[in-house]
Amino acid sequence: MKCSLKNLITIIVIGIAVFGFSLWGIIGKKSDFSESERRVLAKFPELNAETVLSGSFMSDFENYALDQFPMRDVFRGIKSASVLGIFRQLETNELYIQNGYITKSEKEISDKMLIHAADRFQYIYDNFLEDTNVNIYFSIVPDKHYFLSKENNRLAPDYDSLVSEMRNKTEYMKYIDIFPLLSIEDYYRTDTHWKQESITDVAAAIASEMGITLDAEYETLAVEQPFYGVYYGQLALPVKPDTLYYLNNPLFDECTVTSYNTGLPEKKNVYDMEKAQGRDPYEMFLCGSDALLTIENPNAETDKELVVFRDSFGSSLVPLFIEEYSKITLVDIRYMQSGAIGSFVEFSNQDVLFLYSTLILNNSLALK
Amino acid sequence: MLFSSITFLYYFFPIVLVLYFIVPKMFRNAILLLTSLVFYAWGEPRYVFLMVISIICGYICGLLIEKYKDKLPSKLALLASCIISLGMLGYFKYADFFITNFNTVTGLSVPLLKLALPIGISFYTFQILSYTIDVYRGTVPAQRNPIDLAAYVTMFPQLIAGPIVRYSDVAKQLAERTHSVDKTSYGVRRFIYGLSKKIFIANILGEFAGTFIDSKQQSVLFCWMYAAAYSLQIYFDFSGYSDMAVGLGKILGFDFMENFNYPYISSSITEFWRRWHISLGSWFRDYVYIPLGGNRVSKLKWLRNIFVVWMLTGFWHGAAWNFIVWGLYFAFFLIIEKLYLKNFLSEHKTAGHCYVLITVIISFVIFGAPNFKMAFDYIKGMFGMADLPLVTAETLYYLRSYAVIIAIAVIGATPLPKKLYSMAEKKFGTAAAIAEPCAILILLFTATAYLVDGSFNPFLYFRF
Repeated sequence: MKCSLKNLITIIVIGIAVFGFSLWGIIGKKSDFSESERRVLAKFPELNAETVLSGSFMSDFENYALDQFPMRDVFRGIKSASVLGIFRQLETNELYIQNGYITKSEKEISDKMLIHAADRFQYIYDNFLEDTNVNIYFSIVPDKHYFLSKENNRLAPDYDSLVSEMRNKTEYMKYIDIFPLLSIEDYYRTDTHWKQESITDVAAAIASEMGITLDAEYETLAVEQPFYGVYYGQLALPVKPDTLYYLNNPLFDECTVTSYNTGLPEKKNVYDMEKAQGRDPYEMFLCGSDALLTIENPNAETDKELVVFRDSFGSSLVPLFIEEYSKITLVDIRYMQSGAIGSFVEFSNQDVLFLYSTLILNNSLALK
Repeated sequence: MLFSSITFLYYFFPIVLVLYFIVPKMFRNAILLLTSLVFYAWGEPRYVFLMVISIICGYICGLLIEKYKDKLPSKLALLASCIISLGMLGYFKYADFFITNFNTVTGLSVPLLKLALPIGISFYTFQILSYTIDVYRGTVPAQRNPIDLAAYVTMFPQLIAGPIVRYSDVAKQLAERTHSVDKTSYGVRRFIYGLSKKIFIANILGEFAGTFIDSKQQSVLFCWMYAAAYSLQIYFDFSGYSDMAVGLGKILGFDFMENFNYPYISSSITEFWRRWHISLGSWFRDYVYIPLGGNRVSKLKWLRNIFVVWMLTGFWHGAAWNFIVWGLYFAFFLIIEKLYLKNFLSEHKTAGHCYVLITVIISFVIFGAPNFKMAFDYIKGMFGMADLPLVTAETLYYLRSYAVIIAIAVIGATPLPKKLYSMAEKKFGTAAAIAEPCAILILLFTATAYLVDGSFNPFLYFRF
């Protein structure tokens, strides 16, 4: 009797679960975009003889079924909790959480990637910088894993070797070491990036190497909405969000920020408060991932100009240089071909800073 | 289509169940056939026709064999069935192997056919052969209803990775099968246990094995960890699939044979093969070994029979020399055991367990390597002959990361969890009646979570 009761309960419980989620999946509302993963979700594939015979309908349907599964984020969270909590694996989808910081686990240096990054920099130097009177600087931003991997004997790339390799390959630039100025507390817990309010010393050190002194005073303001960084969505575990602070100065209101993302100039602001409320609040800093952007400061005391080749870490750092330059140009060669730079930037008597994170250097295929 | 996929669990199978149970009983085999063809076509739309041709040939040959029983046409029909079935298998699975070796020996350059291997061809070919051979032997009557025969061959629970269900075992169930709450519940539990074995253990150990192969910092310990993890992966992968097949069969009213019985607790290789891939072992025993004379022949012929069966067993797994060597490797140990070690192993169980584990682990290194040279390199690494350090930081990192999974896998490969469960069931009675369905539900949801997250999910036995 007991056995039958157990069997009956098993069939009812599993039946409700399977048929319930099945119906929910079929008739439930579908999403176009995953806010947590920051990506477009698969749609129901086209069904016709060609797609069926080629097998593309089936493979696309598998993606659709995964992407549109009800309570997808909850299930992703269950997976992460199970991997890290029950099976005690050291990472899930290459992410781990330590001391409250969600971090991506990189394990080794990719020589191929470093060579590619150095080749791109060399190309820019050879084609645009070599015979000019610009001052070229290079700085590398350590990833969060650099700090956390030491604490728990995690596998990590040999960061010293990474820096040394890059320095050897870019001897035409003056290297500015910012590693000693940073600690894990200078980064967001749920995001890849560093916190703007924690890197004024980094800005000062770089500026000093470039021969300028930063002395502007900033008001630290907070974005009201909690900041769930990119790793938060990838890990899908309930981690306390960050607060996004930004450093403001009335000087910024008088600057002219121009984006050339679409080819045509478009006026923007140093801080985009609309983006601060959007999907990726970190994009509030200099409009996020624009290929080419200029900041003109009419109040600059000199006519010095700065060109920054950068990844997203530069977005929050560069505003801190505005006070000393009449014009700053930001170039992101992940979104524009290096060969096209000459059409937009004339190199003459500028400071040129290459600022890249270890994450990008070690995964540099995106650099064009 | 994979059992361990959202498409199967939440789209295909619920639809199959609804169709299967709302139609009158007489149409259930037709539903089973139709849905099985969809299941197969999901991964192999073009090769459905190949399978249908094989079934039609098997059906016609079966009728002819029975009609002309004990006469020459009966033998010819059986011969035709064997030639067609094995011919298709040979053409699609082994042609390039033979061409490559022919080219190597002769120095010619006969172009390779480069055909994609039809999924499950090794399994359904053996099922069709078992049917026509059994009809020839008079063990079962020929199936007159082509839908029933086709439903047997294509039945999706066992279509692409076994167990190799023999027609004689399910002939009666094809005509009449029973459904009950207890049987369905058992099927549900068995399916979810199999799904869990696949997703929580086999897939994760598969990731670990992949990490080893990609590693630039291999060590002696890493080689052993890989070998052990791969051996556990292949067990949990294949036995998990068999559990799911048996469970689905129960839900649909069928009783399939068991395919695994804790092979890693064996104390001899003979015992291991009585517990590992039982349906394949018994197929070769009944359709190759015994017809060759089994052990009731001279010693020399007996040894030949063992070598033939094990070479074929290895070759069945794949068209490459490492599979043949893998089969012959077992033939060697089986002969040694039968000739010299039988008494020793029965008296020294602990030594027997160690011997089996080491022998089997090494065998799976040969089995899993992409080629024979790499298999040899891994084995050299395991025995410190490849200039590898004993241990590296990377090895220790992965040992830490996978220690719990490996421990669960090791314990799960023994009957201990089942014994503990039986004890708990007796002790807690009604509470267990509530707890087990809850546990099953948690397993289902957690497995779903792994699938939704799109984790690593190949089935190793699909390539056979």
